[in-house]
Amino acid sequence: VGRPKGVSLEKASFYVGTEFKCLSNGKTIPMEHVNDDYCDCEDGSDEPGTSACSNGLFYCENKPYKGTYIMSSRVNDGICDCCDGSDEYDGTISCENTCEKLFAEIRAQQEAFRKKQEEGYKVKLEYIQQGHRVKEEKRARLSELVKNKAALVEELDNLRAVKDEAEVPEKEAKDKHEEAWKAIKAERQKQRDAIAAAQAFAKLDSNQDNVVDFPELMKHKEFDIDSDGTVSEDEAREYLEDSEQTDLATFTEKIWPNIKEIFKLKNPEEVKEGEKSETAEDIHVEDGPPSPEVTDEQEAATPLDVSTDPDAITEGVADTAIPDEDRDKYYDEDDEDEEEDDYPGDDDEDDDDKVDVNEQQEKHKPEDEEEKMPEYSEETKLLIQAADEARKHYDEADEKVKDIEKEITGIEKYLEMDLGPQEEFSALKGQCFEFTDREYTYKFCPFDKTSQKPKGGGIETNLGTWGHWYGPEEDKYDSQKYENGQGCWNGPNRSCHVNFHCGAENILTGASEPSRCEYQFDFTTPARCSEPEPLPTHQVHEEL
Amino acid sequence: ENFRTCDQSGFCKRHRNMQPGSSDYVVQASSLRLSKTSLMVDVLNTKNNVRFLLQVYGLQHGIFRVKLVEAEPIRQRYEIPIGVTLVAEPEQAELVYHGDSNGQLKFSLGDNQMLINSNPLRLDFLINNEPVSSVNAQGLLKFEHTREKRAAKEEEAGEGAEDEVGAENEEEKPSADVDDEGMWEETFKGFSDSKPNGPTSVGVDIAFPGFRYVYGIPEHADSFALKTTKSTDPYRMYNLDVFEYELYNPMALYGHIPFMVAHNDKHTVGVFFQNAAEGWIDIQSNIADKSVFSNLADFVTGNNDVPQTDTHWFFEDGIIDVFVLLGPSPKDVFKQYASLTGNTPLPPLWAIAYHQCRWNYNDQDDVRTVDQTMDKFDIPFDVIWLDIEHTDGKKYFTWDGSRFGDSVEMLRNLSSKGRKMVTIVDPHLKRDDNYEKYTDARSQGLLVKNKDGNDFDGWCWPGSSSWPDFLEPKVRKWWADQFSLEKYQGSANNLYVWNDMNEPSVFNSPEITFPKDVRHLSGVENREVHNIYGMLVHQATWDGLLKRSNYKERPFVLTRAFFAGSQRSGAVWTGDNMGEWSHLKMTVPMMLSLNLAGIHFSGADIGGFFKNPDSELIARWYQAAIFQPFFRAHAHIDTKRREPYLLPEEHMIVARDAIKKRYSYLPYWYQLFYESETTGMPPMRSLWMEFPSEANIFEKDDEFMTGNAILVKPVTEESQTSISVYFPGKDVVWYDIDSYESYSGQQEKIVQAPVSKLPAFQKGGTIVPRKMRGRRSASLTYNDPITLVVCLDKYGNADGQVYLDDYHSYEYRHGSYALTHLSFHNFKLENNILHIGKDFTTKEWVERIIVVGVNTEPKNIHLIDADHNKMDLGNRYDTQTKVLTIRKPGVNVAQKWIINLH
Repeated sequence: VGRPKGVSLEKASFYVGTEFKCLSNGKTIPMEHVNDDYCDCEDGSDEPGTSACSNGLFYCENKPYKGTYIMSSRVNDGICDCCDGSDEYDGTISCENTCEKLFAEIRAQQEAFRKKQEEGYKVKLEYIQQGHRVKEEKRARLSELVKNKAALVEELDNLRAVKDEAEVPEKEAKDKHEEAWKAIKAERQKQRDAIAAAQAFAKLDSNQDNVVDFPELMKHKEFDIDSDGTVSEDEAREYLEDSEQTDLATFTEKIWPNIKEIFKLKNPEEVKEGEKSETAEDIHVEDGPPSPEVTDEQEAATPLDVSTDPDAITEGVADTAIPDEDRDKYYDEDDEDEEEDDYPGDDDEDDDDKVDVNEQQEKHKPEDEEEKMPEYSEETKLLIQAADEARKHYDEADEKVKDIEKEITGIEKYLEMDLGPQEEFSALKGQCFEFTDREYTYKFCPFDKTSQKPKGGGIETNLGTWGHWYGPEEDKYDSQKYENGQGCWNGPNRSCHVNFHCGAENILTGASEPSRCEYQFDFTTPARCSEPEPLPTHQVHEEL
Repeated sequence: ENFRTCDQSGFCKRHRNMQPGSSDYVVQASSLRLSKTSLMVDVLNTKNNVRFLLQVYGLQHGIFRVKLVEAEPIRQRYEIPIGVTLVAEPEQAELVYHGDSNGQLKFSLGDNQMLINSNPLRLDFLINNEPVSSVNAQGLLKFEHTREKRAAKEEEAGEGAEDEVGAENEEEKPSADVDDEGMWEETFKGFSDSKPNGPTSVGVDIAFPGFRYVYGIPEHADSFALKTTKSTDPYRMYNLDVFEYELYNPMALYGHIPFMVAHNDKHTVGVFFQNAAEGWIDIQSNIADKSVFSNLADFVTGNNDVPQTDTHWFFEDGIIDVFVLLGPSPKDVFKQYASLTGNTPLPPLWAIAYHQCRWNYNDQDDVRTVDQTMDKFDIPFDVIWLDIEHTDGKKYFTWDGSRFGDSVEMLRNLSSKGRKMVTIVDPHLKRDDNYEKYTDARSQGLLVKNKDGNDFDGWCWPGSSSWPDFLEPKVRKWWADQFSLEKYQGSANNLYVWNDMNEPSVFNSPEITFPKDVRHLSGVENREVHNIYGMLVHQATWDGLLKRSNYKERPFVLTRAFFAGSQRSGAVWTGDNMGEWSHLKMTVPMMLSLNLAGIHFSGADIGGFFKNPDSELIARWYQAAIFQPFFRAHAHIDTKRREPYLLPEEHMIVARDAIKKRYSYLPYWYQLFYESETTGMPPMRSLWMEFPSEANIFEKDDEFMTGNAILVKPVTEESQTSISVYFPGKDVVWYDIDSYESYSGQQEKIVQAPVSKLPAFQKGGTIVPRKMRGRRSASLTYNDPITLVVCLDKYGNADGQVYLDDYHSYEYRHGSYALTHLSFHNFKLENNILHIGKDFTTKEWVERIIVVGVNTEPKNIHLIDADHNKMDLGNRYDTQTKVLTIRKPGVNVAQKWIINLH
């Protein structure tokens, strides 16, 4: 009673006597200077009831509701800030006491919230149980898998040994067969060479004296090493390995291997054949499927050309009259970016096409029937069959190990995931929730992704995939961040901030884009409900 | 590039290629006709015998008006009607004729003289017999007379029947062949300009002997002191929507004012070239253009570096109508210019407070959230803005019902805290048969036509659009009527207007604006009137808001396009700048140029429109803008949200402190705007405007003065923590506005400038009124008490004014205001009433007086109030800073009182 205006009961004791000490620094002023509409204390404590100190606070009693502080710049500014109207006392305006009403409203809100909280908390307890159970199950499964894996790995090792064992004789037999075939091929080649050498010798031996000498070589331009137009004696001699002449045997053995390349080059028939095969390949490549670049361009053109967007006409203008950079500004309607962001060009298909090209080329390679290796012997075939069998068993076991490893990784990932201090968010995993506004249907799949889709149908836009919990340090589970969504035209990748609120049910209650390409979802879930405080036995007015 | 260079413009090339020399234009002195205030004399182009009429008028305040028109034009040439650029028919003054001596006619107007040289035509202007300006001294006058297309062809063919045609033919033949292509048709980027009237351009050179520096001709993103254009294009004057404009470039921007000021340590003179067509201005300076070679030449010829600036002005159409403003002080020139084109009317207080804008606030919830969050963070603001997305399909005067279903409720909520809203209303009308504004304008025949006489159809935000012809008074009236609460459904009295895209911007047209051969209803081509279109848009909007309040409340309209005279009905911002440090730095020269050219209520988007500025830049931008006239934050739709409360705390506090500081200086700002309306003095001033004889500051545009009291050096570089400040003024003492640390004048000094600090200084000898109570909006401060900051000069004196009225209505025009003169002299502070309205009262009282520069602590202080009651006052004296704070005088601001220090 009798405390200065704007002072709360708890601080009333500072404001008695004939002097006042500024609360923070103890500077003394006469008590008449308290609330005299002039700021004497740096901390604003001498003017609790006026607007004189820019850093002061005014206490509204707000009976019958609870008292609060307001900034003293709001005292006598013509706006009723305290529900009891006590901040406006200079007579400029008169404020109605709305505390009763406000109190009732707030109580109703609190009541409603409490109800929601109670309901939600019940569900949350189930979620917690369920979450723990799932985790237990996963853990159990994990240890089972680890065990199974050990057994399988052991089996795999055995099978590998069997396989390796079977492959040794298989390899020996195959190698032997191939060596023999190689020897046959070499012999055949040697014979062909001898014939060619003899033919060449005959051609070179122009005087047919069964000896080739350097004057005979000098008649053949291909021996012109320095390309000066004539074959000199030295040049010819060099090919004759510094001898005067050579007979067929020496020619075949020593000289022909050295000159067959240059001499062969001059053989018109053989050259022609080589050129032909190259040409054939070239044509084949050109006839192949269109290159991926071409495909991309075609795909890219499509969305712009057949837009049904109302802005499509505008875009048409942009294309003709406005340079691209200006479109930033002028044609900035929603959605356009989405069309430009990613074209549904299918890279995988392109890759397949490339593989096809190679295979076809392989098939078209001319095969020399004469050079085909004869079949393996029956004995070798049996060895191969046995090795194939062993490999198959090994591969099957390997597949199993990989499957089990994959499952283990999956479970480990799950176990690493932060599903809340009590696993209460576990129940949300694998579910999706939708919210539809005027234009879009927004989709929220917790721990997976966020997206939006135009209401009238169209391509879904990824607004971000699961990133991390995003609440403040003291309340980490307050919100989540989804990141690296579809790129924004002229901007960052889309991202989505999901705020979690307590509610009796899982509902996506709102979605908005407060900043360009930064989305915000509001989601209520029982998982965010904390345990309600026990109800007081009877209502108490807080100011009493 | 989207925009023409001089080389791509026929008339620009024709004028620019002229060589200085003897002019072909000769005054026929025998035809001289005189009246008391004017003269008229015939002028002949001796090359083609085309006759002209030269008229010179003596005007009040020391202004000559020089008009040159064709004597017998084939077609009426466009002259801007009174009331568009000129606020009224200028008042004339006696022009005394002193006779003709050797072909030189001498006249005087007060202390100023004019000499007309007859052969060739040349006009010299003198202040007390000292030449300061000269027209056609270089002989670059070129007036392309009206002609018929066929006649021109005949001329070309050399078959002219009349002598004069033949004469022109003979003389101009060599160049005519080259020029002909551009004279009757021109193409640019595939757009063809039909040019039915052929060549119609006018141009002349204007020299400023004795002047090294010229200023003005905004709007260009360039230095305040204009640069020589010897190696660049001329400064271009053609209202255009320029996307991501480049800095330090003479290219045209959104609005233009053909007003230039020359200043030296003795004189300040101005030239206003009244012409609404596209213009270009070349500038040469015998000092700036000096090469080593010409220095040698000067040495040989004995030229002793008398500086001279030569300017060359040419416009595509219209007439030559030049006002020569002979100062001789900066203050005089501003008064002279205002006497011609009008003053900036005093804005309502809220309009000079903080504006929170963004493209776009999405819906009513968004608006409410911003409103509440600003309060939560204790950041004052007065106005929130809605950009184009608030409309139903870019149909202005409508609302997107799904986002703004109850705009009246939203406006009422804002109004409950004294706040306002500004919505955008652009001049293009969507061609949509269900859009009433369009169908109404179409059926009444109010729309601009294309060259074939059909409604012009161009592209802007809504797609296919048409434009009302604001040149017609009846169209302006129709437009103004659309702002009534009945016609603008969902609006309210606290809704004000933003006219954007009014150059006008037309996306699919040459240079993103009207084709030049677009027809106005009166039959004139846009070529003849282009640069006044945007101004007529905001004038009509202004009229609409005036009408809405039955002429009682002061309107607020923001415009992007402008012209001479725009100051009467619009605030201007510098358009689509960028969130970069270089653009923050550019705000000072750009706004100094605008302020010099009469556009006093101007600002740049705080933070920069495009890009995502970092928070330090945003914080620094808020600081710099405190002392710039129009204080609005704005951002492009693609940028991250950046309302000040979203900044990291360190910078949020800097921004908040800056905004609060702006609010605390509103009484000073308000008084500066009152001064602007009554005297034409710009609120934002270059240093030379306050220190006209200090030659080393003529080029300075990284510092500025707000009024005569505050010197500001904004920090415009990243991570800077100290900055060099030049303190002008011999014997002047400057005081830091926060610490009251003192600095003496005529020195450069490094001062500390951590991110929390804007270097700003109050001049010793001034008294600045402030309000320190930190309310949520300016409308809530009307009754708040005032703090007077008295900074003493070397001799212990100081002066200042306080202006008070109701802060929103036109009652002050009927005398309902108070103006007091405060003077501190001989340890006595006196408040003398210069004016107080008969029925004017205010609750504003004097809360405290801070006297800075008091060397000894007074023993006691007493107040003598209006009723001669004497009262002792408490005080606090800081021996360190020599600051005396007088406690709570408590007297009403609008009463006479005296405070004595003993």
